[in-house]
Amino acid sequence: MNLIHSLIPSLNRNLVVNEGHHDKDLGPTVQPNYEIKETDEAFNLSVNLPGVTKQDLAITAEAESLRIVGKRSWNRPKDWTVSHRETSDAIYLLELEHDNRVKTDNINAKLSDGVLRLSLPKAEAIKPRRIEIS
Amino acid sequence: MRYIRYNTPTRRSLPAAAFGRGVCNGLESEIDRLFNAAASGSQSPHSGSRFPVDVYQDKNNLYVRAELPGFGRDDINVEVVDGNLTLEATRKSDSEKAPLAAKFNRSVTLPDDVKTDGVTAAYVDGVLPVTLPKLEEVKPRKVSVAVG
Repeated sequence: MNLIHSLIPSLNRNLVVNEGHHDKDLGPTVQPNYEIKETDEAFNLSVNLPGVTKQDLAITAEAESLRIVGKRSWNRPKDWTVSHRETSDAIYLLELEHDNRVKTDNINAKLSDGVLRLSLPKAEAIKPRRIEIS
Repeated sequence: MRYIRYNTPTRRSLPAAAFGRGVCNGLESEIDRLFNAAASGSQSPHSGSRFPVDVYQDKNNLYVRAELPGFGRDDINVEVVDGNLTLEATRKSDSEKAPLAAKFNRSVTLPDDVKTDGVTAAYVDGVLPVTLPKLEEVKPRKVSVAVG
């Protein structure tokens, strides 16, 4: 095992918990699973955020990036003992850069059954344009 | 037949200038990036057949919590069979060609002190909590036998 760790230094670090983000107050975070599908008009982003309610979700859209922070709202009652754990309590953090390719004032977000669906409309400049032949 | 012995150039065999530190650093960070990508969220939310499951217990109940985001309540099936709790979720896709997009299946072996009836489950915000009541503790029965 030590040999493997020396060959692949990345394994030695904690892979799941990422503390390299800008916001130090957030504590340990984990990147949620996400998928982006592109249409002519928009990028459709779906993010798996199980256990996150609307109140605990913050989506920040900036000119060049999109940031999603989701806190799990469920806390383990004190008298429950853990027999087996596979999930983590870390906060979900997803930071995506879009380089002005998205109209940030027109983003549509929907959270249902632990999946956040965001529709990010494309900026006019990158939309396919039909050129008429004169 | 010619036998050519070829040594792969290593850092030791080449002068430092030809195989500088920068190259190694770049490779290392690239490998890091690949491994991190494999370990975190680059896979699609609709792939894989496993989902994380937690098991907790207190005095009265055993609790199983599964993270199953994005399912309808009808697509989730919870069963207790032969001392195993089976959680199954299927997702239908929009296209008619492949109506079954994903099938997720996990099963948890239950301890002996769990009742198989009275199991309740809910589905809230993509999390499936299942509550399994434990058997009331059976007190050892004391039988006094009069010796005649």
